[in-house]
Amino acid sequence: MIVAAAVLFSLIFLICLWLIFTEKLDRSLTSIAGAALMVGVGIILNLYTESDALAAIDFNTLGLLLGMMILVALLEPTGVFQFLAVWAGRLSRGRPILLLVLLGTVTTVLSMFLNNVTTVVLIAPVTILISEILGINPLPYLVAEALLSNVGGVATLIGDPPNILIASAANLTFDQFLTHSLPIVVAVWLVALLLIRFLFRHELSIKPPNTGVLMQLNPAEALEDRKTAWRALVVLAVTILFFFIYHFFHISPAYVALSGAVIALVWIRPKFDEVLKRVEWSVLIFFAALFIMVGGLEAAGVLDALVRLMEHAAVIPPVLFGVLLIWVVAGLSAIVDNVPITIALIPVIQGLGAAGMDVGPLWWALAFGAGFGGNGTIIGSTANIIVATLSEKTRTPITPKLWNKRGLPVMLATCAVASILYAIAYPLF
Amino acid sequence: MKISDCMKRNVVSIPATLTIAEAAGIFVNRKVGILPVIDEDSKPIGIVSLRDLLELELPDFVNFIADLDFVHDFGAVETTRPTLKELAQPVTSIMQPITTIPEDCGLLRAYAMMLQHNLLDLPVVSKTGKLVGIASRVDVGTAILSTWPSKEAKKQ
Repeated sequence: MIVAAAVLFSLIFLICLWLIFTEKLDRSLTSIAGAALMVGVGIILNLYTESDALAAIDFNTLGLLLGMMILVALLEPTGVFQFLAVWAGRLSRGRPILLLVLLGTVTTVLSMFLNNVTTVVLIAPVTILISEILGINPLPYLVAEALLSNVGGVATLIGDPPNILIASAANLTFDQFLTHSLPIVVAVWLVALLLIRFLFRHELSIKPPNTGVLMQLNPAEALEDRKTAWRALVVLAVTILFFFIYHFFHISPAYVALSGAVIALVWIRPKFDEVLKRVEWSVLIFFAALFIMVGGLEAAGVLDALVRLMEHAAVIPPVLFGVLLIWVVAGLSAIVDNVPITIALIPVIQGLGAAGMDVGPLWWALAFGAGFGGNGTIIGSTANIIVATLSEKTRTPITPKLWNKRGLPVMLATCAVASILYAIAYPLF
Repeated sequence: MKISDCMKRNVVSIPATLTIAEAAGIFVNRKVGILPVIDEDSKPIGIVSLRDLLELELPDFVNFIADLDFVHDFGAVETTRPTLKELAQPVTSIMQPITTIPEDCGLLRAYAMMLQHNLLDLPVVSKTGKLVGIASRVDVGTAILSTWPSKEAKKQ
């Protein structure tokens, strides 16, 4: 009976993952349908109740995501992202490699604190503008922005959804990410940038005929709403500051982010409906539904079985176990969305911890694998999908074939570098 | 008044066999904004507009950046032209579905159609579906204004 339930629940989860992978159904719709089905079956089998399902949702993650989404929704229409990209373009004086480094840096730094999708959605159009008026191919810059935003997101607690999930589950703090993850990300980022420079060496060797044309782009004019931009940035800065110190006040990161959002809303007083429209509700639904599904897997004993299976693997040295986890998670994240992978693996790692294993280092392995793995395929991360979709509407579309040649090597190299540094720094984790 | 009373009857139309380059030549010589594409029975099968042709040259960023006021010089794209290969494509490759109205259509309905479909010129067809004329917004609009009551008319 229990085995049958475990098989049934696993089947529902795997079918959902398959539907997300094949894009046969919208990922949020898939996950909410899967969640509803699992709760229904759970009630019939007297295994998983509605209140269990509600308790499985990590509201700390949802609150943190919602708060940051509102702050970004306030910043988005002000043109501040456009301002930064135009500024980077001017600073490059039209030199392709410098332009790559500058646009890459802006994208990385923004995606360390804001979500990658917003960053890429707002930086990519200006990238296309700069490339077109220079008369050069925008592809290297667009691919680099997706890749580097994924790398940058690994650096901080709020950089990427998997980090928020892991931090919430393992009680990791904002500073711990800066001391454990940031140094590795800096090294990995440099390797990624050098590799991108090498992979696109032909495109980047073409000198733009007229670089002076960049100088007529006025960043100040690109900034459309100075007052709102200023206020939103001040609140964002204070919010980030509070991420460093929230644990002294015994409050959660979610409370920090939501308070920041509320303060910004009250200060700026925008049209509230329009701000809410820009919040990615489908992402929040996706997360909540995945929590419910993984809660179901836990109730049906699927995750326990996985834990017992992995305990057998624990005979190998812990360092190797961690490195293996990086690669397994990276491989899975390249194929399916890294969010369901992370949500499913968190209870497994917690189970290993309960069984007496030192899981501290494993959390970081999970974060690195989920973060860097997404670069492997054109559908590996939302940033990749966004850039590819955007480029389809241009004369130089990014194809899956191009991604396999230019994105996959970067994923493999970044995972390799991360693994080496992880192994070296293992005693510190 | 009906649309047939204010439309232009000498319509410049093209067969589907033309290339984009040939169509461009007709746009230049006849100074028109749209070219209805017709079959052997002179029934309209689609429309090519000046806008569709210019789309070939318009840079991609125009579609992505809402407010272009900060871009004062289009630089390299200002001098890029469609390739000969692009221009050798048949007009059917950029042809859009055509919206037509029957010749007995009322003026106000015709004007509303133009507003809703965002058209500057409206091709007019006969009962048998043949293209018989074309009316611009100016044609339709001024025809409507001419029916407005005036003091002079009242005195008479």
